[in-house]
Amino acid sequence: MTEYMPEFEHLVPASLDEALAVLAERPDSRVCAGGTDLLVNMRRGLVEAGTLVDLGMVDALRILKQDDTGLTIGAGVTLAALLKADLDWSQLNALREALAAVAGPTHREMATVGGNLCQDTRCLYYNQSEWWRRSNDYCLKYRGETCHVAPKGNRCRAAYCGDLAPALMVLGAEVSIAGPDGARRVGIGDLFAEDGADHLKLKAGEILVAVHLPRAEGRSTYGKIRQRGAIDFPLAGVAVSCRGRDDGLWFSLAVTGTNSCPVMVEMPAPMTRDDAADVFFRDMSRRVQKAVSPQRTTTVAPHFRRLSVSALAARLARGLAGVADP
Amino acid sequence: MKDGAKRHAVGQPAPLIDGIEKVTGRARYTADLDHGDALVGAILRSPVSHGRILRVDTSRAEALDGVMAVVTGDDCAVPYGVIPIAQNEYPLARDRLRYRGEPVAAVAAVDAKTARRALDLIVLEIEELPAVHTSDEARAPDAPRLHDNKPGNIEREVHHVFGNPADGFAQADLVREASFSCAEVNHAMMEPHAALAEYDPERDRLTFHSVTQVPFYVHLTLARCLEMDASRIRVIKPFVGGGFGARTETLNFEIITALLARKAGARVMMRLSREESFLTHRGRPQTDVHLKIGMTGKGRITAVEAEVTMAGGAYAGYGLVTILYAGALLHGIYDIANVRYDGWRVYTNTPPCGAMRGHGTVDVRHAFECLLDRMSRKLGLDPFEVRRANLLNAPLFTANGLMVNSYGLDECLDRVEKASNWHERKGRLGPGRGLGMACSHYVSGAAKPVHWTGEPHAVVSMKLDFDGGITVFTGASDIGQGSSTIVALATAEILSIGIERIRVVANDSAVTPKDNGSYSSRVTFMVGNAAIEAARAMREKLVAAAANKLEADPEDILCEAETFSVRGSAQSMLGFEEVALAALAAEGTINVKGTFSTPPEAQGGKHRGGAVGATMGFSYGAQVVEVEVDRDTGQVMVKKVWAALDCGYAINPLAVRGQIEGSVWMGMGQALSEETAYREGLQSHAGLLDYKVPTIVESPDIEVFIVESIDPNGPFGAKEAGEGALSGFPPALANAIADATGVDADFLPFTPDRLLEAMRKAEKARKREAAQ
Repeated sequence: MTEYMPEFEHLVPASLDEALAVLAERPDSRVCAGGTDLLVNMRRGLVEAGTLVDLGMVDALRILKQDDTGLTIGAGVTLAALLKADLDWSQLNALREALAAVAGPTHREMATVGGNLCQDTRCLYYNQSEWWRRSNDYCLKYRGETCHVAPKGNRCRAAYCGDLAPALMVLGAEVSIAGPDGARRVGIGDLFAEDGADHLKLKAGEILVAVHLPRAEGRSTYGKIRQRGAIDFPLAGVAVSCRGRDDGLWFSLAVTGTNSCPVMVEMPAPMTRDDAADVFFRDMSRRVQKAVSPQRTTTVAPHFRRLSVSALAARLARGLAGVADP
Repeated sequence: MKDGAKRHAVGQPAPLIDGIEKVTGRARYTADLDHGDALVGAILRSPVSHGRILRVDTSRAEALDGVMAVVTGDDCAVPYGVIPIAQNEYPLARDRLRYRGEPVAAVAAVDAKTARRALDLIVLEIEELPAVHTSDEARAPDAPRLHDNKPGNIEREVHHVFGNPADGFAQADLVREASFSCAEVNHAMMEPHAALAEYDPERDRLTFHSVTQVPFYVHLTLARCLEMDASRIRVIKPFVGGGFGARTETLNFEIITALLARKAGARVMMRLSREESFLTHRGRPQTDVHLKIGMTGKGRITAVEAEVTMAGGAYAGYGLVTILYAGALLHGIYDIANVRYDGWRVYTNTPPCGAMRGHGTVDVRHAFECLLDRMSRKLGLDPFEVRRANLLNAPLFTANGLMVNSYGLDECLDRVEKASNWHERKGRLGPGRGLGMACSHYVSGAAKPVHWTGEPHAVVSMKLDFDGGITVFTGASDIGQGSSTIVALATAEILSIGIERIRVVANDSAVTPKDNGSYSSRVTFMVGNAAIEAARAMREKLVAAAANKLEADPEDILCEAETFSVRGSAQSMLGFEEVALAALAAEGTINVKGTFSTPPEAQGGKHRGGAVGATMGFSYGAQVVEVEVDRDTGQVMVKKVWAALDCGYAINPLAVRGQIEGSVWMGMGQALSEETAYREGLQSHAGLLDYKVPTIVESPDIEVFIVESIDPNGPFGAKEAGEGALSGFPPALANAIADATGVDADFLPFTPDRLLEAMRKAEKARKREAAQ
């Protein structure tokens, strides 16, 4: 039968404080923005929520402000709205490319920046119907005891598949969070943990409020390995930024889709005039290969995801550095 | 117009007559039908690949408030299947479970929530048995047997020899062999499965709406499995959102919905999820092809040997026809005298396969056209010239007895060769880019249907009444391909009337004549001819009435643009309505009909299985594909496709164009990204996120060329247009990838992981060779 949406109460708070109060009062509640991730999972019986706290009317989450200090993006801004926003994108190319790479146009109309960052991790053995998972004795991430991806391991290996996180990471973003104990602000990398069943370091009752990008410098880009040019989550995605300093070109890389959280890959030294480009980028490619650990969470072989994303990373970096492909 | 005939309705691009309903959303598909008072049906499915049912306890589900009926295997002891000699499936499993997802029990309840709770309350005790998920596993000596009467898990093996292959290979200058493995694919039609059944307990009558392509089969199967008199059943097909063969066979959920409705004495709506629609399957089986071709130095094919193994899933379904098609359609496209074919249709513990667009031929054609390309390169011949060296000279009968009366492959080759600028561009596109070509063909309807009754293949009836409207009644299922429009256009053409005067009433067994259904691309040819015959009978009546009124000989009556006149005399003209009323005055409401039957010579060779592949005419296609391959990531981008198809005559060029584009696109899906995947028999492609139908981003520019060879028996010369172009795409892509990368890959689809691996292997082999 058509997948059946479980019953829940739908509350629409008008302010952030009201939303936080509902979360505090109702431990079985979940926040919902665009719903493109959460509602799909609810239909599949992956989320038990007595109450959905709909953030759609909270104006504070829809702030979008660019000034001399940088850019602030409310967590409730939709991907489509952000893409269309009249901003100075010149230093934010990775973000723009990542936004455009998310799912398809209709998803982007609904999906929000906060929702994209906080989306659930994904796995072949998890994103299935109740009948499917029951037939397979469930899994470590939800209701089961074994991770079918790595049965000998003791943690869930579901992959984090957000496109925006790596782009925001190489652009040096921070996120602000509101919660029962007040507001806090952390580097975006600190929002995530390498555990597929518990990958978000948001505490109970907390809401992601906004993303803050410093005034960017240098160039950046995002590339995505996927089978189809739309709809698909990344088999692997990589954001690269390149900043020119007196001592050479400094690269930052961040990868998504390969681990249970987005992975930062720092280049320890800049590329200098003395470096042979091929050697430098081969080393970069190796570093990416080493840093990521794709698992059998999709039907596509992990080995391919590792190889292709590392090759893509080096190619994107070459492009930013203005070095021709070998 | 190639045949020089002057026509007013056919041969011009016409929007589909049901297009407005579809684009405005007014069209009601099965799941949209009013079901306010219908119970909700839901199916409990097997969690295991193979097992013995020890106990199905439905007592707690039955006791649940709001549950109106529960059915299990005990409610239907009659096996069914599309092939009368291979019926081994029950709508709900009895005793044995043979694939994960097989229906075991079903409930009808007042709402979805109750239905779901009821399913959870059913106790299913199973003794799990060892399972086989691939044809290799199934054919292993110690493999568990799925069906007691099928040793070795072979549903059907076929061994055909035509001519003398050994002699043929002896005459060859080059003999090459290769093995190909093509993944299983599914139709992924846009509309998920649904059925609405209403049972009237007082009168023992069943009214049934479903998504079927063949209401006739549904009607027969419901009568069979419910053990009802067929006259008590009425089957209606509403708008259908695609089929591609998924809905040719009667499907388990259809019978289950009817069983529930009868047990509950009520209406039951069954709407399957996308996952369940995939589980119901009937897609193209995983197919291994081992192919050997002999060729002279000039590219002439001297002999062919093909071994084909299909992992067909848990039940017979269409299996024996699929494995026969795979061999039969080695013939009919090129002039090949010596052919050996060995085919095995194997049972596996996976959802049953069936018919899918290009039934039986796609994977074999892929192997064939790829190997031709490799041999062309080896011999230093142009692939176009190799095809031209092997063209048929119609009319003829092939080595296996297939009738070929019209043949436009040569023109198809010319058109795509020229348009793609083949000779100037081939090999000159730069690194990572390439051009490839391939040919294909497909039947215009099975000349002998699997359910042979001796009746005509198609009947169309037509009514003229006081309103001056022509109502055409057909049992042919328009499933989006535009068959009702073909019927309307043919009628308009013969009667010389505007299409606005015509209503097509289709697919209600209480009203419309029986039709064999929409499969094997039969409708345009067969139903089109029946419509022409019916319209001619109607025209005869009108002409007689006009002649009477004009006091002229019927032979001298001209009928054009809804007016009747006497040849050579411009003064006396009668309008259509006037003539219609005159005709009605003589006999009242006029009902006529037309039929179409295939002659015995079209029905194939006399060898066992010789009817499969036999047809009134083949479509022919040639394609060129331009591709770009990312050497770092293995990603493939199709840049452009040139596709020519000989459809005999384009009754509706707009629809033909759409069908060619759709075929190319579906072939592209199979070639690029579509495949089913099972984990221990559990499908992991359960949604459209994981079953990767291409998106608009992958959709290339397709330049279409319609070639008209004017078949002597086709309606206005027409043949099929909906399938022939599909099987040309995958090999044309493979050949383009070989051109771009130097890699001859032996698999489908060309997913980036497979292709990257193949390129790396080829690179290593090159380095090894260079080092030696």
